[in-house]
Amino acid sequence: MPTLPNGSVEVEHVWKKFRSDKAQPFFYDQLARLGRQAKSRNATGYRWVLKDVNFKVEPGESMALIGINGSGKTTLLKILSQVTYQSAGKCTVQGRIGALLSVTSGLHPDLNGRENVFLYGAVLGMSREDIRRKFDTIVEFAELTDAIDRQVKFYSMGMQMRLGFSIAAFLEPDVLLVDEVLAVGDANFQQKCLQRIGEIVRDGTTLLYVSHDLASVEASCQRAVWLSDAVVRAAGPTSEVVTMYRTAIEQNSTVLTTKEGVVQVLKADLRATDGGQLRSECETEVRLVLKSPEKAMASFFVGISQGTAFPMFVIDYTGTMPEGDFEVVCKLGYLPLPKGHYSLWTAITGFPKGKKDPYLPWQPVVSFEAFGPERMDPPEGVMAMTPVYVGAEWQIG
Amino acid sequence: MTSLSIDPPDRGRKLIVTDLSSIPAEPSDDILYTHKVPFLTSLRTLWDHREIMYTLAERDYRVQYKQAALGFAWAVLTPVMTLVIFVAVFSHFKGSINTGGVPFPLYFFVGILCWSFFAGTLGNGGSSLLSNKALLAKTQFPRECFPLETMLVQALNNVVSWVPLVLLFIYYGRTPQPETVWVPLFMLIEIVFTAGITLAISSMIIQMRDLQQVLPIIISLGIFATPVIWPFVSIPAHYHLFGGAYVHGHWIGGVSVNLQAVYGFINPLGPVINGVRETMLLGHNPTWLPLTTAFIGAGCYLYFGYRTFKRLEVNFADIA
Repeated sequence: MPTLPNGSVEVEHVWKKFRSDKAQPFFYDQLARLGRQAKSRNATGYRWVLKDVNFKVEPGESMALIGINGSGKTTLLKILSQVTYQSAGKCTVQGRIGALLSVTSGLHPDLNGRENVFLYGAVLGMSREDIRRKFDTIVEFAELTDAIDRQVKFYSMGMQMRLGFSIAAFLEPDVLLVDEVLAVGDANFQQKCLQRIGEIVRDGTTLLYVSHDLASVEASCQRAVWLSDAVVRAAGPTSEVVTMYRTAIEQNSTVLTTKEGVVQVLKADLRATDGGQLRSECETEVRLVLKSPEKAMASFFVGISQGTAFPMFVIDYTGTMPEGDFEVVCKLGYLPLPKGHYSLWTAITGFPKGKKDPYLPWQPVVSFEAFGPERMDPPEGVMAMTPVYVGAEWQIG
Repeated sequence: MTSLSIDPPDRGRKLIVTDLSSIPAEPSDDILYTHKVPFLTSLRTLWDHREIMYTLAERDYRVQYKQAALGFAWAVLTPVMTLVIFVAVFSHFKGSINTGGVPFPLYFFVGILCWSFFAGTLGNGGSSLLSNKALLAKTQFPRECFPLETMLVQALNNVVSWVPLVLLFIYYGRTPQPETVWVPLFMLIEIVFTAGITLAISSMIIQMRDLQQVLPIIISLGIFATPVIWPFVSIPAHYHLFGGAYVHGHWIGGVSVNLQAVYGFINPLGPVINGVRETMLLGHNPTWLPLTTAFIGAGCYLYFGYRTFKRLEVNFADIA
């Protein structure tokens, strides 16, 4: 039953600092710290995990917070849900908050599933009456009808997570804060969760969603905020922010290429066979110029990814690798990519004599732009991670 | 006024890239956050969340004896065992402990019951924030629910523990005196005092774990500092400070102080235990002065304990 959305979030100049040394200081640690401070005036003893964060989530909107580990996403959610408090600035949340910061932390192993539904539901802010009313729906959603009277310590991890998520999924708050909890259960259940989140948003709940799983972010959020090193780097429509974020990750990951493999990449290139622009569906050539220390049998891998180490597809070939400089040409009959920014990853497996490192570890070698039609979006609430099949012809020498 | 649109207008549709150089190194002083929760506001919030407290208490109550073969019988057995030890040890000092004609076991048991509620709550509630770390860092509701919830559990256990008291009354062929009607008032004093101490200790333990080691020692010694074994009346009601004249072994005139009242202010449990004994066992009227100071003392403990808790709660999730 869609209602008029009335939950909103406003974050104004929020700062948060953590003590650098999070351990409880012993007496002698304190002494040591005083000593250090006496020596250098600017020894701070704390670090900022959020710096001047500003954004606004309008009623009924779904917003994602993305960023690498330790960028401050979870801390921000904790501040919004008043689990912890900001060091400076102001957070205004209108409406009833439901915060799902962890799926299983509210469950008690010694209680059975039924008791846990009531316990966790209450802890998350549902009234007993509410829980009683929604009990069957929750259990059914969690697919735990048979196990509900079993102690939770005898549940598998997946079952516990399903139970935890299902309780939160029926909270019906005005503002729902969700932290990285979709790694729940198997693929089918994940899909169900995403659909449920879509439903919640359609019903008018304001969603603030933290994840570094970009596919699920794209599937469920209209807008995104990219946090990096405690600051907001960009905010706006999900697709644009995600693209920026991906580009930044690639720039960082190219550092990997300096890692000493035994095979050196001298040149890497990707072009349309007809010499034109790289575009969707065109015949494409991948050219690598490599330098090998020895002649050996090896497997070559080439893959294309978008801002992660996980390729959308990989093609491989096993053959003889010559000694010295040589060229690898891999001809793809068909470039199965929509418009976008991608990177080419490569690896050569097999081990040089007497060494533990492979010939070439999996690493990005070049990034490129593909032209063509925009990506077609999957239905709402569905993650687009379709495997792609690509036939290829290889040439080495 | 135009109606709310579900689809927000163009706002936020554009990509905004932060100019990193515009971010200052430190926040300006005027936006620093200070954690101030007015006393009454926090009480009201707590009241709104009472259901969570009940649920947590239910959880702990269920879990407590879940895998114990004797189950809830332990709520009775624990104080009875303490009583047996006390009687075995202290019956040697029968002559030196003036119980006013009340049988020893009955006299002790009343003290043990009052004491065990306090000790149990402080012991479990003191470390409740630590034992609920997972919830503390992930869910949002008033943090005082944790220590107070353990008090609820202890109260339930305590009620069960009164069963053997009934049996003792029957065994000695005595009945509780009509003055027993005052006992709920004494219990209220005890609850207020216990809540205050437990709130303060639990919030301090999280910052200073050393307390967690010391606490059991303090609790086990505290039983001797409280009139559980010895009678409260052995504290002088008129303790002479100075002045006056010493006649026939007594001071006449001068300035004296009622140490019972002073003791009651510092440790409200003293007058409470004494009050229960006076009324329920002996049928006397309560001695009001120490009880009054005990009530004021307990109120102070609660007020300042709760204040401490609210002040320290800013850091709970960060350092738990």
